[in-house]
Amino acid sequence: MAGVWIYADRNEQGMELLTVGRGLANQLGKTLTALVAGDDSTAQGFISRGADEVLLLPSLGEGQPLQDYIPLIANEASKADPDIFLIAASLRGKEMAARIAARLDTGLCSECTAINIDDKGKLQMERLMYGGAAVQKVSISSRPQMATIPPRSYEAAEPQSDRQGQVKSLDPPEASGIQVIERKGQEAGSGDITAARVIVCAGRGIEKQEDLAMVRELADTLGAEIACTRPISEEKHWMTEESCIGLSAKEVKPALYIGVGVSGQIQHVVGIREAGVICAINSDENAPIFEAADYGIIGDLYKVVPALIAALKK
Amino acid sequence: MPNIVCCFKWVVDEAYIKPSSAGKIDLEWAEHKLSDYDRNAIEAGVQLQEEYGGTVTAVTVASSEATKGIKDALSRGPEKAFFINDEQFENLEPVQTSAILAQVISQQIDYDLIICGEGSSDMYSQQVGPRLAEKLGIPCIALVKKLEIKDNRLIAERKTDEGIEVVSAPLPALVTVLPDINNPRVPGLKDTLAASKKPVVDVSLEDLAAEYPALMVLEDMRAASLVRNCTRFGSGPEDIQAFVEAVNKTGIIDRG
Repeated sequence: MAGVWIYADRNEQGMELLTVGRGLANQLGKTLTALVAGDDSTAQGFISRGADEVLLLPSLGEGQPLQDYIPLIANEASKADPDIFLIAASLRGKEMAARIAARLDTGLCSECTAINIDDKGKLQMERLMYGGAAVQKVSISSRPQMATIPPRSYEAAEPQSDRQGQVKSLDPPEASGIQVIERKGQEAGSGDITAARVIVCAGRGIEKQEDLAMVRELADTLGAEIACTRPISEEKHWMTEESCIGLSAKEVKPALYIGVGVSGQIQHVVGIREAGVICAINSDENAPIFEAADYGIIGDLYKVVPALIAALKK
Repeated sequence: MPNIVCCFKWVVDEAYIKPSSAGKIDLEWAEHKLSDYDRNAIEAGVQLQEEYGGTVTAVTVASSEATKGIKDALSRGPEKAFFINDEQFENLEPVQTSAILAQVISQQIDYDLIICGEGSSDMYSQQVGPRLAEKLGIPCIALVKKLEIKDNRLIAERKTDEGIEVVSAPLPALVTVLPDINNPRVPGLKDTLAASKKPVVDVSLEDLAAEYPALMVLEDMRAASLVRNCTRFGSGPEDIQAFVEAVNKTGIIDRG
């Protein structure tokens, strides 16, 4: 029975995993099981969207971190022996997946960019390596075949009216000894760049912090969110890390991206590869960003950006 | 006074990776480097030692290719290194690396805290740290951006998708650190000279007397195609206008 299992620490990502999980389960002729935190109505929501079985995770105690679910999830998976176990590649999800895989003594493909079943019923997965310069294709020889799936890789599953499924409530997990003392929200002043339709990104070509105002004006003209490359957030601290695009930072999928003074290092470009249209403004005609762009302006950004703002406002 | 272990990986520098013919990649001329995030791991260990005393030991699992990496790591402050090396330790996957590290660390090193980078800059699977903690049966705190030790407990700020979680964990424990936890010092000539005098414990596959099967099968590897067909414009007024028209044609920008 065990078939395909999915777990996401946020329900909206769980809905996306239902889409890919249901597809794989259908191909294998097996069932789909979702691990979900919430109550019976949450569980029914997952069943109507494609799950055959929901394992309800109990609420955690005060100060108990989400990671305390790890032994519980690993035990259930060990008993049921699923063929495939997909986990959402959120920050916590990636850590939990690695620790669950260690407990189950199985292989895990991190941040899968493509996932398919071959004619022998085995998963074939792709992921990026070398900072995004290469793609590796892997399979896993142990059970379950595990993978983490980046958020927004799939559309959320839609509810259907006639679906039935089982709900099983799991016992509360034991406390691990790690205590959450405090939770702080996102640093203020940053919009969510991962949800933005248009992004203007500031790169190392920006010479002074006050010059970001010009980049921000371009963003405002376009109704865009402003983002940055790693040097701007990490070395200069001009913008928060929440605004940083790239490997080990945010991966974005805007319809339009405009890089201002962005050189286009592979670790940055990997974070924009899913963008619809990529534009770049850079004075160096050999900057690698032009390889990755659809439209490029070769010129001094301090002249180009004001001219561009004026032309856009016309 | 804490005994700290910093794990590191000697990796191919991705700046040298060039696509060759037929979508393959050419690694023949690639230089190696100390994985970027592991520089933060070593720096975090050395800073804790500066504050609380104790020891810092650097550990890696690799083929002899990483001999230079041992010296590089030691030049950043640790006083001792474990070099777990064998010609078979090439392209190990996380399940193997973590099992080997777990065996050597549990049998040969007295530790209170293990620090790993959040991932390696070549594979970036982000698995070795968390898997190692599970193998050792110790608490794991991943993606840490601030770290201190208080009353024999670790107080750490870790990043989550919602913001920051401040957590407390008993020692021994393992953390993986983010690049924003510190700015790794750049070793000078003196540090490099001192590094060659520091003790290195060699551990071979024979010494381990165990097998570490791979569970992931590499079916194929090719250069990623991130290349688009770029239409280039100059920076004159007509160029800017033509660029704006090209962008407008995409219909993405809302002119409402």
